[in-house]
Amino acid sequence: MKLSERYNRVNLIATIVIMLITGAIYYQAISLILTNQKDNSLKVEEQEVFDYVKLNHHLPQVFASKDQQITFISAEPNSVKREFFNTTYYREKDEPESGRGLVSSVKVGDRYYKILIVESKVETEDLIQIIFGITIGVILLLLLVLVITNRLILSRLWQPFYSILSELKLFNVTDSREMPSPNTTIDEFNELQAEVTAMAERVKKDYKDLKTFTENASHELLTPIAVINSKLDTLIQTENFSEHQSKLLNDLYSAVSRLSRLNQSLLLLVKIENKLLNDRQHLDLQELIDDLLYQLEDIFNDKEITVISTIGEKEIDASNYLIEILLNNLIINAVRHNRTNGEIIISLTSQNLTIKNTGEQVALNPENIFTRFHKASTSEGSGLGLTISKQICESLGYQLVYSYEELYHIFTVNF
Amino acid sequence: MKILIIEDEEGLRESIEEYFTEAGNICETAASYAAALAKVELYRYDCILLDITLPGGNGIDILKKLKANNYTDGVLIISAKNSLDDRLQGLDLGADDYLVKPFHLSELKARVSAIIRRKMFNGSNVLNFNELSIDLMAKTVAVNGTPVKFTRKEFALLIYFISNKGKVISKNAIAEHLWGDGIDLVNNFDFIYSHIKNIRKKIMEAGGKDYIYAAYGMGYKFADQ
Repeated sequence: MKLSERYNRVNLIATIVIMLITGAIYYQAISLILTNQKDNSLKVEEQEVFDYVKLNHHLPQVFASKDQQITFISAEPNSVKREFFNTTYYREKDEPESGRGLVSSVKVGDRYYKILIVESKVETEDLIQIIFGITIGVILLLLLVLVITNRLILSRLWQPFYSILSELKLFNVTDSREMPSPNTTIDEFNELQAEVTAMAERVKKDYKDLKTFTENASHELLTPIAVINSKLDTLIQTENFSEHQSKLLNDLYSAVSRLSRLNQSLLLLVKIENKLLNDRQHLDLQELIDDLLYQLEDIFNDKEITVISTIGEKEIDASNYLIEILLNNLIINAVRHNRTNGEIIISLTSQNLTIKNTGEQVALNPENIFTRFHKASTSEGSGLGLTISKQICESLGYQLVYSYEELYHIFTVNF
Repeated sequence: MKILIIEDEEGLRESIEEYFTEAGNICETAASYAAALAKVELYRYDCILLDITLPGGNGIDILKKLKANNYTDGVLIISAKNSLDDRLQGLDLGADDYLVKPFHLSELKARVSAIIRRKMFNGSNVLNFNELSIDLMAKTVAVNGTPVKFTRKEFALLIYFISNKGKVISKNAIAEHLWGDGIDLVNNFDFIYSHIKNIRKKIMEAGGKDYIYAAYGMGYKFADQ
């Protein structure tokens, strides 16, 4: 639920409840006041009857009146209790109306009379209705205005918030673009903007530091690895090794070359992310893939893998170095995770490049295969190959997608 | 051959010097920018191995000095900076080749040999080893004058061996030379053996000698013993 919606809802409910309560109290108060007025007028009438009786010692004559009826009924002495009451007022031939009456008594000589004075309340009720109607009208108008202004004001007030939010959504640590400041005089939003900007700067700085660290660490590692490598090359020239010693040396060689590849992969990742390798040249993918397949022939044969390739024509503008790494990674990957006597199916069209391979008959989790150092426990790779491939594709504006269907693991590069 | 090794890392410098020092080769070394500059100003070399990051200066400046003086020394840049810019800059300035650390000494030797060959043969480019005669331009091999058909990889491997004759070359170095850095999926390099077997067979069938020796399961050595 949106903030403005929530706010409007609460606001509306509260306003309506308060208006209803106010309306009820208002109605009660008005009708109380008007009834009081009516009662006073009845009292005046009663007093007039008393005055007349006192002066003339007989009951006044009753005239037919539009809004008032006075009746005298003889009654037992002291049998009448004085009281006001609500009643129905019958005007000749008309519909019955609501009325207010007063029962009282008077003594004329030794005779006792009950006085019944009834006045029509129709005008009073009309008045109440008019007042109430106007009030309701005003309340409705007020509500309407309130909702509209709330909506307008809220959406305008929160505009800077939404612009900050959309900036946050677009935020990318590798992006050097600064966040634009929203046009607002509201302190809270200015403060929010300042904090968001400061946070973004901190994140970017941390990210940059981390990248610099990775780059420097990898660089510093290169020299010792080069020394180990050259010392091993020198050592094997001394000859006269036992079988055991040469086995140890082989293991050392393998470990050093893995270390060196891992290090190179890390450096490469940093470079792709820093966009340091964005030289572009015209490349014939068909030719590159054919070359690579020839190059890797022995490796396919070694694992008795059948390669079926349908390579169409496709030319792209990209860094030769990166494309070679991408193709190499994807195809080597298809070999590494293949089984003996397996299959690799490579197809290149103008829209995409797909590399299918047989292997473990379980789909991989597409969520994490592209994350760094994610690899099968049996894999001898660095765990960076697919990460690098993905990064290369992203830097060139391509998409690298994994899917699994009917025994084949499929990697597709969509150009 | 006279070679100058400009490299500040002692361990690496010594290994290279030891690997390159053999009959007919003279190796000199320089560990800093100043020492390197002093040497290249005084003496000429067949090939200079040039590290880019040196104490006291940048190796690229030494290259510029060489080219400004029109010295024809071959230059191979060895650098820890695998950056394309450095590479292109180095080659643009007239370096003959560029090798990124870490590398195998056999790879370095093969590259240096290629540079020196290009300089010495002035384009004729035929490499002779006893009864073997290899035309580097036409990529053909002849044994005692009889042409023998070699595949691309066999040819590359044969040249690699001859450039490193008398040295034990590890299987890793061979694999990286033939298949590039991508070849990290194999711990057993059995498929190298099939190429070596083919080379041996082809040379011997054409009446040549067997020059390739297995070295304790670690690698191979090409030698005329």
